[in-house]
Amino acid sequence: MTELLHILASLVYAAVAVDGLLSRRRGIAPSSVGWLLAIGVTLHGVGFVALHAHEPLIPLDSFPAALSLIGWLVPTSYLYALRIAHVRGVGHWVATAAALVTATAAIGLLLHDPLAPAAAGGGRWSHAHVLLSTLGFSLLALTSLAGLAYLTKKRALKRNQTARFGLPSLESLDRMEHVTLGLGFSLLSLGVLTGFFWGQSRGISPWTHHSSWLIIAWAIYLIPVGMRVLRHQHGDRPARIVVIGFGFLAFSYIGIRLLGMDT
Amino acid sequence: MGLNHRTAPVAIRERYAVSEGLARVVNEKIAAHSRLLEGAVVSTCNRTEIVAVADSVESGEEVLSHLFEEVIGDGSAGREHFYVYRNREAVEHLFRVASSMDSMVLGETQILGQVKRAYALAAMSGSCGGILSRLFHRAFRAAKRVRAETGLGSTSVSVARVGVQLASEIFESFADKRLALVGAGEIAEAALHAFREAGLRSIVVINRTLEAAVRLAEPLSAQAAPLSRLEDEIDIADIVVTSVACDQPLVSAPLVERSMRRRQQRPLLIIDLGLPRNAEPLIKQIDDAYLYDIDDLDQVAQRGRESRRAALVPAEAILALELEQFERWHAGRRAVPTIRTLLERTRKLARAEAERTLARLPDTSPETREAIERMADTIVAKLLHRPLDQLRNEAADQGPAYYAETVREIFGLEEEED
Repeated sequence: MTELLHILASLVYAAVAVDGLLSRRRGIAPSSVGWLLAIGVTLHGVGFVALHAHEPLIPLDSFPAALSLIGWLVPTSYLYALRIAHVRGVGHWVATAAALVTATAAIGLLLHDPLAPAAAGGGRWSHAHVLLSTLGFSLLALTSLAGLAYLTKKRALKRNQTARFGLPSLESLDRMEHVTLGLGFSLLSLGVLTGFFWGQSRGISPWTHHSSWLIIAWAIYLIPVGMRVLRHQHGDRPARIVVIGFGFLAFSYIGIRLLGMDT
Repeated sequence: MGLNHRTAPVAIRERYAVSEGLARVVNEKIAAHSRLLEGAVVSTCNRTEIVAVADSVESGEEVLSHLFEEVIGDGSAGREHFYVYRNREAVEHLFRVASSMDSMVLGETQILGQVKRAYALAAMSGSCGGILSRLFHRAFRAAKRVRAETGLGSTSVSVARVGVQLASEIFESFADKRLALVGAGEIAEAALHAFREAGLRSIVVINRTLEAAVRLAEPLSAQAAPLSRLEDEIDIADIVVTSVACDQPLVSAPLVERSMRRRQQRPLLIIDLGLPRNAEPLIKQIDDAYLYDIDDLDQVAQRGRESRRAALVPAEAILALELEQFERWHAGRRAVPTIRTLLERTRKLARAEAERTLARLPDTSPETREAIERMADTIVAKLLHRPLDQLRNEAADQGPAYYAETVREIFGLEEEED
């Protein structure tokens, strides 16, 4: 049931992505992105709840479960951003990311979670860490998406490449980046802190590969936060750094697991 | 003959831009030229054309080429930048221009006013005669019909609106933005209306003559400023629209560079609708400054053009009808010498007979004399009404001139001319 709902949700996300791509080729606005994403998010949400129905505690530190949560949070955060920043036009990008992540989660679930590391102990700190940092990760994924879209749009505007004018306005993308960066960075910071306490409570070293890369990513994110909060800087400089920062963050979550660096 | 946004880039067009003063000079040269019968300069931000009537196509082209190279431009344009339409094609082209079917923004509303202004200038210079007057008025009529009867006129579009569309690619909302309009002419007015309708409230009109800026700004609750405040206003503006007739760029790259340092990466959009261009092209290389000239807007306008293309079918039908009517009128001019001679001769006869009759009535009052003379003219007009119509129709049909020959023979018109 859970697997089926995850597959259905990833198919809906994929449909939004394909519709967006075809619409761009035809030069028309994608239809019903918001509604389709909402359907996908609902299916996915039910699947995610069903995933944990059999467990006494939500196994958020299982790889497919974490991916599923990220896959759900990305479109959900986008639907929220759609309301606050009029960021129409990146829906199919969000859907593409959500489809890939959710489909990977579904495959992981079907294969009985072969990629999942052994859960390093349970407890409240563990859950708080995983939940907060996953929320932060999802929002920062949107931040980097907004940053990437900003840089693409700016390049198109500078070169008068009208084919790429379908993206939201520069100001909308900048605002989306600003809002999601503020929230995402705060949640990630709390995730890092709770992760530290979790390690302390288990008496294990805080300097695992995962935590080291996470700290590096967190430090990189400090730069655009400082630029925006202290120097009120906007535009492509913070956008470039949030894109780079997300590379480190994604590696700390996914890369090291895929490379088997942390056990 | 001319060059437009499709045949020549803005860098070439700006060297062939014609101010009203130069248009008068060119029109006067046309009026004085022995090989050109009539002519008018049509100049907008997207085109410079001369519509002319010549004694032969070859000599007309030669004279127009000379005017373009020696009087209007600097000779920098190659032959590939120019187009020449002859006879029917030329008439159709003018109809298309006036109806905005040849415009960068299909269906834009400003072009008809600009063509009317071009005609008025030519008429004032005495370079427009019977044929061009008729042609221009037919073109105005065709343009009005296209606007009233087809989808081209259903939405108000203009270059300024394309500018708004472009601005919305950068800014999410215009409510908290400031617009600096440099210039106080028709284009500035269109831009002011377009941005106001898009929700922009803070607007300043900057112009050399402050009175003109005030005249444009005041009715729309905008501010007015002299040109000396340009740099200060650019510092606080988000969007700058320029449409000034000037030989040198008003908005230079160093000026924008200085301004960008003070703005802290706040983007600045400059829409240059002037020809010659008002903003230095180097501004495009400055970070966070977005400069678009009239050719750049052409690419943005392409996106909206598709949606209005369906309206072209009925518009083409209207133009075809108007073109046919003009051609009939023009062909009908073949009968003009015969008609004129016939009218002159018959009126002369009628007047002579009236005079003879009045000479025999010495006590006739001035009112009665006038009534008898008028009666003689009326009889001639009524008698000849149908024959003259037949002569005109025969000429308009462009077939053999049987009626004309018969009339000349039976009334002995040729003998009289001899």
